Amino acid sequence: MLAVLVRKDLLIEFRSREILISMITFGAAITLLYAFSFRPSPESMQTFAPGLMWMVFLFVSVLALHRSHSLEKEFDAFSMILSAPVERSVLFISKYLSGFIFLVVAQMVLLPLFFLFLQLPLPANLAQMVAVFLLVDLGISAAGSLLSGIVMRVRVNEMLLPLMLFPMVTPLLISAVKSTASIMDNQPFNQWKLWFQLIVSFVIVFSLIGYLVYDYVSEE
Amino acid sequence: MESFHSRQSSKVTAGILAVFWVVVLYLVLNVTRIDPDQQMAQKIFYYHVPSAWVAGLGYLVVMFAGVLYLIMKDEKWDHLGLAAAELGTLFCALVLITGPIWAKPIWGAPWSWEPRLTTVLIMFLIYIGYFMVRNFGDEGERTRRISAVLGIAAFLNVPIIYVSVKFWAADAQLHPQPAMSQQSPDVFWTFMLSLLVFTLLFVHLLRFRVHILKLRSKVLGMRYDV
Repeated sequence: MLAVLVRKDLLIEFRSREILISMITFGAAITLLYAFSFRPSPESMQTFAPGLMWMVFLFVSVLALHRSHSLEKEFDAFSMILSAPVERSVLFISKYLSGFIFLVVAQMVLLPLFFLFLQLPLPANLAQMVAVFLLVDLGISAAGSLLSGIVMRVRVNEMLLPLMLFPMVTPLLISAVKSTASIMDNQPFNQWKLWFQLIVSFVIVFSLIGYLVYDYVSEE
Repeated sequence: MESFHSRQSSKVTAGILAVFWVVVLYLVLNVTRIDPDQQMAQKIFYYHVPSAWVAGLGYLVVMFAGVLYLIMKDEKWDHLGLAAAELGTLFCALVLITGPIWAKPIWGAPWSWEPRLTTVLIMFLIYIGYFMVRNFGDEGERTRRISAVLGIAAFLNVPIIYVSVKFWAADAQLHPQPAMSQQSPDVFWTFMLSLLVFTLLFVHLLRFRVHILKLRSKVLGMRYDV
C-alpha cells in the first residue's frame, strides 16, 4: 500500500512537474541572489556557504511540503484516500517519503549549481556529505509532512507552514550547517559527531511523532 | 454559572497573591543583600527565573493536556491546553523582556545567543505559530485536535533545541549558574517565595482562562443550537 501511495505522488509529479520545477527554479534564483549580494570571494564564501546552502534547501522544501497536502484538497481527494482501507500512519510515511524524494531530486540539481555559482571547492569526503544530506532531508521531510498535514485545512496554510516549520527545525538546521561546514573543512568525524547525533535524534523524534499522531491529524 | 471572581476559592487565591506579591517586592528591594558585582541589576533574578519556570510549566501542561485531549476527546483538556499555552507564552515574553534588561548592564549587550535565552525565543516563535493555527482554524474539533498534536511536538522538541543551541554558541555560555543551596538564607527564601507566588499566579490565571474558555464554548454552542 505504501508503494502505491508513494507511486501516486510521484506519478502526479511526473505528469504535472509542478513541484520539482518550482523548487529548482526558486532554489536557483536564491542562489543567484546570494552570488550577487555577497560578491563571492572564495575565502569568505567558504565560511558562509554551509549556512546559505541549507537556507536555500529549507526554503525550497517548503514548496514541496506544502504541495504534498494541498494537492490532496483538489477534488476532495484526501477524503477518498481516507476512505480507502489504509492505515493513517502508512499515509504519513508515504507523504514523508515522497517529500524526501522531491527534496533529494531538487538537491541533485541545485547542489552542483550552488558549488558552481559560488565557486566552492568540492569536499574531499563526498560519502559523508551525502549521508548528512540524506539524513537532514529525512528530518525536514518528517517535521514538514507532519506540519503540512496539521495546517492543511487551516486558512492561509501556505503562510503558516513556513512559520511553523522554521522555528521547529532550528536544531536540525544548526546541526546540518555545522556538519556540512566540518565536512567541507575536512575535519575528522569525531569532531562533529555530536551534530550528527543531533540530526539522527531529530529524525527519530519527528518520524515517531508523525507516525504515532498522524491518525489524529488526518481525521476529518 | 457563577462569576469566577465571586467564588470563594478565587477570592482567597487573589487575596494571597495580592499580599505576597507586595511581600516579595519588599523582600527583594529592602531585605535581600545587594550583590557586590551586579548591584541592583541582580534583583531582576527574583522575577526572571520564576517567569522562566512558569513558562516551562505552562508548556508542559500544554503537552499533557494535548495527550489527554487526544485520548479522551473531552473539550475541557483543550481549554486547559489553550489556557496554558497562552500563559506559557505570556511568561516567555516576560523572560525575553527581563533577560535583556539585566544583560544590558552586566554583559554590555542586551542580547546574547545564550542557550537558555535562545531556546525560550524559539519556543516563543513556535507558540506564535500555535496561536495562528488556532485563530485561522475553525472552531471545530479538528482545530482542537491539531493544536493538541502541535503542543506535544513542540514540547518534545525542547531538549533537542536546547542541546543544539548550547553547542552552537559554545562561546556564549555566560548565563549565571547559581547553586541555590549555596546562597545566603535571605536570597534563598526570597527566591523560593517568589517562585511560589509566580506558580500560584499561574494556577490562578490558568483557572480564570479555563473558566472563560468554558463560557465561550457554551455561548458558541447556544448560538449553533438556535
